[in-house]
Amino acid sequence: MSDVQLPVIAILLTFVVCAALAAAFLRDILSAIIAFAGFSFGVSIVYILLRAPDVALTEAAVGAGVTTVLFLLTIVRTVRPGGDRLFERIKVVPALLATGLVAVLLTTMRSLPRVGDPNSPVATSEITRYYLENAYPQTEVENVVTAILAAYRGFDTLGEAAVVLAAGVAVLVVLRKEVYV
Amino acid sequence: MSSVDRPVRAYVESTIIMTTARIVSPFVFTFGLFVMFHGAESAGGGFQGGAIVASSIIVVAFAFGIEPTRQWLDDSIFRLLIAGGAAAFALIGLGAMALGGAFLEYAVYNISHGVKYGIELVELGIGATVAGVIVSLFMNLAAGLTNDADGGDET
Repeated sequence: MSDVQLPVIAILLTFVVCAALAAAFLRDILSAIIAFAGFSFGVSIVYILLRAPDVALTEAAVGAGVTTVLFLLTIVRTVRPGGDRLFERIKVVPALLATGLVAVLLTTMRSLPRVGDPNSPVATSEITRYYLENAYPQTEVENVVTAILAAYRGFDTLGEAAVVLAAGVAVLVVLRKEVYV
Repeated sequence: MSSVDRPVRAYVESTIIMTTARIVSPFVFTFGLFVMFHGAESAGGGFQGGAIVASSIIVVAFAFGIEPTRQWLDDSIFRLLIAGGAAAFALIGLGAMALGGAFLEYAVYNISHGVKYGIELVELGIGATVAGVIVSLFMNLAAGLTNDADGGDET
């Protein structure tokens, strides 16, 4: 990772953490949703800097865009809590649980490879080499991610499409019943 | 009065928002199609492209009102997209079997660049399903709201 990117990533990560904390602690749900959208947008830019444009596009379109809109539509049906407090009162047990989980996850950080490490298992793996060498000759598709998703792992992707279809149909059936009965 | 029950606000026209949506949404829609079709060469694919296409329609619905948009684009269009996209994906896979190959073995389609076109068709199918599900979710979640606004009773 180049020297220019490091401060940018540091600023972005600070922003992302602040937005996440704001989303968790703000009392007003509308503010929390906006903070959550900001969090998603920040994370998507982090993904771009980490050279994962496919994931970044998904995060920006679904996380920052569509989810926010669906949340907004949902809270119109809810009530706003009374009182003028800006932040939610912190409950001790869930806060301890969440902190403990983060601590456990942080212990795994040391065994992760550094960003851009040429000796990381992913870069040196036989499978990575196979896909990079054969994806274009075998599928004529320049984006290896697409080649893996739609050709090598096409059956998995069909399963994903089926999940989207089934979940969508199920939710739509429930929603429709609520509206028209 | 920090409101405990917030009244459901009816749709309010805004020239600025309507003009912005009118100019921006065709470009967003086209970009979504680009991401869908161009997933083979650059970042993107059916899932991302479908979400972007859906968001361009949601922008239109926000600017011009959800009820007019629903009358403009009937629910059945999206039902067709949802089912048709998934069916296209499955049929491409089954078609390869009918031609004597394995499931989703694009190479047995006897056309030049068959693998590439197969992958792009599959991406398009995924995109149609995703866009249809997202827009339908939006329209159906919003349906109750507009009914309330039309009826004028807030419960």
